[in-house]
Amino acid sequence: MSRRLLITRPEHDDTTHYLSSWSKKIISFAESKGVRVFDLNRRRANKKEVDGLLSKQKPGLVIFNGHGSDNLVSGHGNEPLIIAGDNEELLSGKITYAISCKSAKKLGPRSIDVGAKAYIGYDDDFIFFYDPNKITHPLKDKTAKLFLEPSNELITSLVKGNTVEESYNRSKKYFKNNFKKLLSSETTEEETSMARYLWWDMIHQVCLGSKKSIF
Amino acid sequence: MSDAQEIKKIVIARLETLHPDKKISIGSSGEFSRDELIERVKLGDSVGKKIVQIELEFLRSLKKGMLS
Repeated sequence: MSRRLLITRPEHDDTTHYLSSWSKKIISFAESKGVRVFDLNRRRANKKEVDGLLSKQKPGLVIFNGHGSDNLVSGHGNEPLIIAGDNEELLSGKITYAISCKSAKKLGPRSIDVGAKAYIGYDDDFIFFYDPNKITHPLKDKTAKLFLEPSNELITSLVKGNTVEESYNRSKKYFKNNFKKLLSSETTEEETSMARYLWWDMIHQVCLGSKKSIF
Repeated sequence: MSDAQEIKKIVIARLETLHPDKKISIGSSGEFSRDELIERVKLGDSVGKKIVQIELEFLRSLKKGMLS
């Protein structure tokens, strides 16, 4: 049976528009590796569809793009998709990566308690810079790339067959390399000043559960 | 000047080095320009407080040599 990946891509503001666009690279890469991708874009990133696909298709890897809080991740129009104390058992047996704020604080640990293999996410706000002039072509935005490529690296690495721990470390290393790049003498003061936000994402990206898990 | 005012002044000075035309996404709090961030820090609302927290934690990490 082919490996299965579920990804949510709400698009209702600049943040979700950027996360969704940068996820297209992940989808193409996963499909090129023979992974069956369930892509819940825009209005399809809703609770009913997520519940149904997680229950019936049992994807090994689940990627949430969107807003979040301590105890939930949300979809299109900020509809809560997975809520601690409500339906976190849907993540049981799966590796989850949530590119959203704070969900690794409570939802992550709760999902591990009820049998999730691993939960990678952020225990505080996930922050990135972007160039509003590139809003119609987010993938050409070199500023956003500094923040979103290190995040994508984690998924690419999992799809390649690396463990959760290896993938997490590769993502952290990518954040750190970009951070150092921004501090180099070749960058402008304006570029250097973004470095502290890359550092923020790096230190708040956390990995819970079995680090030896493989997708 | 109180400590809190002094800290705000330092944070604002640091924010002024950001590119004026770039925007920052702070999750569900929204998207902000450099000048909007400075306004939020002056106001002292939740976004302003978050930015102050980030700046202070980063400066503390620098001091501890945690970034090398």
